[in-house]
Amino acid sequence: MQQVIAAEIRTQAPASEQAGCYVYCVAPAIEATGLGPTGIEGREVRAVAHNGLCALVHHCPAQPYQSDDAEVTASWVLAHHRVVETAWRRCGTVLPITFNTIIRAEEGSAEESLRAWLNRECPRLEERLRSLAGKAEYGVQLFWNIAVIGKKVAQGSPQLRALEEEIRSKSRGLAYMYRQRLERLLRSEMEARAEEESRDLYARLDRCVESIHIERAKRDQNERQMLMDLSCLVSAERYPELEAELKKVGQREGLYVRLTGPLPPYSFC
Amino acid sequence: MESLARPQATLVDLLDRVLDRGLVLNADIIISLAGVPLIGINLRAALAGMETMVRHGVMTEWDQSIRARETEASKVSQAAAGCNEQLPLATAVSHQ
Repeated sequence: MQQVIAAEIRTQAPASEQAGCYVYCVAPAIEATGLGPTGIEGREVRAVAHNGLCALVHHCPAQPYQSDDAEVTASWVLAHHRVVETAWRRCGTVLPITFNTIIRAEEGSAEESLRAWLNRECPRLEERLRSLAGKAEYGVQLFWNIAVIGKKVAQGSPQLRALEEEIRSKSRGLAYMYRQRLERLLRSEMEARAEEESRDLYARLDRCVESIHIERAKRDQNERQMLMDLSCLVSAERYPELEAELKKVGQREGLYVRLTGPLPPYSFC
Repeated sequence: MESLARPQATLVDLLDRVLDRGLVLNADIIISLAGVPLIGINLRAALAGMETMVRHGVMTEWDQSIRARETEASKVSQAAAGCNEQLPLATAVSHQ
């Protein structure tokens, strides 16, 4: 008899639709009501609370999100971000969970597995949430205009100026060889300058942010070249200092600073 | 002043963070993600393709304008000083 009932329940609510629990983030249990149908593909975002914590989740089949369509995946990533950001703004602190984290059912439901995890990890999660409270992540990217800086470096280097002067008196063939020397020298001086500028910005930031992660700067063949890509964890009260430092750097000829944020602390959990 | 403009996070800014960062849960309670990292690779490839297209368009135009300027410059210099090689440093920089 019991077996029959179980089978009926299964057909009414297909287990496959509820077998997984997609987790967006962990937050203090203020957000106990969920966020409505704002999840990936409009799924209902629910709060699974345990002690003082809650996880924002949606129920889904136990399958990872996968698509060859870049537009579809982009919409998933944006939906994930919006949920994390909303929770972060409402709760003041949040631990973002990496995209496509789907908890599977172990003994009971997926939600029970999640509660067991929250229970196990509670002290560690609460500690992290406390340490991130009142702080935001900012992306700081340093660029330079390679033509502008190149000219400055060339003019400021007696060695390069002498070499350029010398080329003018050479024959075509020799001038070509000299030009290669010129290019090598210029390149090494540019590299030294790039390092100097990067160190300078890093030192300035280090004085006013909680923590810095160096990301891999994106390669670009444009005139405007990225020298450094950083993620910074910044407390609300020290944000003006950060802005003031970046302003100083951005006022220098040929240098650009791009500041992105505030963002939930994705890079610091 | 650019740093004050505070540009909105772009898809690329978010992609790196949402896909690669954030807390990672122990593997024993999450469903197997075999093959899933493809999601990021595909999306990044699509975005990189877009950037390459933009860059190609921009750079082609830029090269043409440089060439036009060099032709002008060499005409001037040839008229002024015979056939001296013209090697402005800015050109060496742009070829890095």
